[in-house]
Amino acid sequence: MSAMTVLAGLPRLIPPGGPLSLADHFGRYGPVPERDAGGLIGDIERAGLTGRGGAGFPAGRKLRAVAQAGHSGGRLGRQAGAVVVANGAESEPASAKDRMLLARSPHLVLDGIALAADAVGATRCYLALHAGRRDELSVQVGAAIAEREQAGLDRVGVQIVPVPRGYVPSQETALISLLNGGAPKPAFVPPRPFQKGAHGRPTLVQNVETLAHIALIARFGADWFRELGGSAGSALVTVSGAVQRPGVYEIALGMPIGELISRAGGPAEQPQAVLAGGYFGGWLPYDRALGVPVSDSALRAAGAALGPGVLVLLPESACGLAETAWITDYLASQSAGQCGPCANGLPALADTLKQLAFGKPDGRALGWAEELSALVAGRGACHLPDGTAAFATSGLRTFADELRQHALSGPCPRVQRRPLLPAPGHTWGQRS
Amino acid sequence: MSYPTGPAGARAADGRGPRRAGSHKLRVNPIACEAHGMCTELLPELISADPWGYPIVTPGYVPDDLLPLARRAVTACPTLALLLDRDD
Amino acid sequence: MTVAAAAGALAGATAAPHVLPPAAIVVTSSTPLWYLTRATGLVALVLLTLSMAFGLLSSVRYQRPAWPRFVTIGLHRNTSLLALAFTLIHIVTTLLDSFVPIHVQDVVIPFISAYRPVWLGLGAISFDLLLALTVTSLLRTRMSYPSWRLVHWTSYLCWPVAVLHGLGTGTDTPVRWVLGLTIACVAVIAALTAWRLAYGWPSHAAARLVGALALVLTLIAGGAWLTAGPLAPGWVRRAGTPQHVAKSSSKVSSVPSRGTSGGAK
Repeated sequence: MSAMTVLAGLPRLIPPGGPLSLADHFGRYGPVPERDAGGLIGDIERAGLTGRGGAGFPAGRKLRAVAQAGHSGGRLGRQAGAVVVANGAESEPASAKDRMLLARSPHLVLDGIALAADAVGATRCYLALHAGRRDELSVQVGAAIAEREQAGLDRVGVQIVPVPRGYVPSQETALISLLNGGAPKPAFVPPRPFQKGAHGRPTLVQNVETLAHIALIARFGADWFRELGGSAGSALVTVSGAVQRPGVYEIALGMPIGELISRAGGPAEQPQAVLAGGYFGGWLPYDRALGVPVSDSALRAAGAALGPGVLVLLPESACGLAETAWITDYLASQSAGQCGPCANGLPALADTLKQLAFGKPDGRALGWAEELSALVAGRGACHLPDGTAAFATSGLRTFADELRQHALSGPCPRVQRRPLLPAPGHTWGQRS
Repeated sequence: MSYPTGPAGARAADGRGPRRAGSHKLRVNPIACEAHGMCTELLPELISADPWGYPIVTPGYVPDDLLPLARRAVTACPTLALLLDRDD
Repeated sequence: MTVAAAAGALAGATAAPHVLPPAAIVVTSSTPLWYLTRATGLVALVLLTLSMAFGLLSSVRYQRPAWPRFVTIGLHRNTSLLALAFTLIHIVTTLLDSFVPIHVQDVVIPFISAYRPVWLGLGAISFDLLLALTVTSLLRTRMSYPSWRLVHWTSYLCWPVAVLHGLGTGTDTPVRWVLGLTIACVAVIAALTAWRLAYGWPSHAAARLVGALALVLTLIAGGAWLTAGPLAPGWVRRAGTPQHVAKSSSKVSSVPSRGTSGGAK
């Protein structure tokens, strides 16, 4: 491998201190290695790297699929070339890791893009960033791209693509629709992006953190990656809510939630529950959450998820039902409005949860909420209905005591406080 | 808010048992579907309607004796949202 | 096939002789073909109206316990094909009729005919659209849905153009029951179109308002044209009927009689 010191332990992705210049970046990590496509893809597969954008799909498998599709396609014997889309749009409101990574270690992400582009035979590379409030970030990353162009580093230039605000536009096929000149709304699959995506070509859509990991695996190998996290590697997680030091932390996967909360300074108030996995994740009662390892398999077994590495600590001073109703209402407003079950079912679910949290619900409301969740799951073109249903169901389960209390004596005084969970630009009852 | 009475359609409309291994599967393109309801009329054995008129397809293979009806339902869909896939 | 039986009855009705006032005119022509052309034209118009009606009914998702939606669609398809069949007979009898100078190219290329070019041309346009509608619908499952839908929108042009063709080319327009039948067809489609525009309000509000305006203006303009045109004296000449055809009638009444003799000139 490289003559540079192989990175030991953490941190891996986020260098200490400020963002590194190109020269410092290579000083710390070594140069971008020359890797043949097959070798690199094999390494990624052996490393068992899974996508860090929330779906957790094996990165090696995706790379291989796009590479194969790119080589078997092409008209007149010529290949049109594949497309690489680095997803840095980060539409999960409680997640901050992607912008932190892009701000502190842009060259690692850009290395990953270049390596992926070579591995799949791409002739176009895009980096998706949220428009508007990301302007500062776009400038920073644009400068890093320019730095590399000046050095003649990458075979394919990276084009920054602004993504409109919203939960759904950063979904894989929505991004591709945007690149193809349409609205950023999810598309029906098949054909899947690896077969036919941007400009009709095989397209690799990968989260920016995943690409950063690829850049390191290319240098230091699969075994090095598996040294941490019980062979699952490391990940960036965003810890927020009622903790002393909310922020982005780089951890070895498998660390217990309790330890992670301690790293974030411990609870700032009396803790009640943990939301794990973002808004498609689930709630865990605090006591039960402490021992659960931060890994997708363990969290799923516990009834939550890892998602894009999001953990929110809910204090006793908040009402879990109200928070669940608030975010379900937000997610319902984020429907692209393309699929009947989602466009109709999510607002109905949100209204029912609002009744359960804020009103004096009759005996059928809970059953109707559960039935709605079962009705919408899996019946949309994207996972918004399933994710929302899972989140809502998890809330109803975890805060069953509150449900009983509310049914008996109406909403508790805690529902009056401002919502803790972020929902950018959303007001109650707002619909798409 | 009115709650639906009776089954909300999440269960199959008929009382058929578990699906035998077969050859074809029905699938709905939820973006193209506009709840015209033609499929629920023509293939009630396998497709029922949710409270808003959108189709719920019983998972699993289409029984061979229902294949011609399934093909008719696919052709009848005004937006070509119902798909019959050969399972290879 | 009760629709076909009714169609046949209508065709028979137009061939039946009428009681005439003594000064009535007879139009000299190959009379059986002439009757057939007018009869099948009327029948085709009624069938096309039915087809349009079932199509509109389907778009507003009309449904009753005893009338599932696939019945509407099935009837729409059948009446469309019947309309095409009768239109083809209508065209063939017109071509076979040597009395009026209408040739094969006039059937598909509008406005080049020697006989009432504008009004016959409208028939050609309507027929061309009907062909496109039929072919694309037969191939619906094999073509892209947006393309099929785009072509199907032209039915909103095909039907009214057919009506105008009938009113302008048809020599039976002043006949009370023919006029009444045509107006009834227009009323049915106008009502269903209004229903279609109102259904699903207020989504696409701007488009619906434009459609409603177009509907109202078309009805007003159509009524005005009808009064000043086919129902006003001198229409035979103003519509562009060739001299030798028009000469065989000294008055502008086209009430048919039993045969080709009597009263001519």
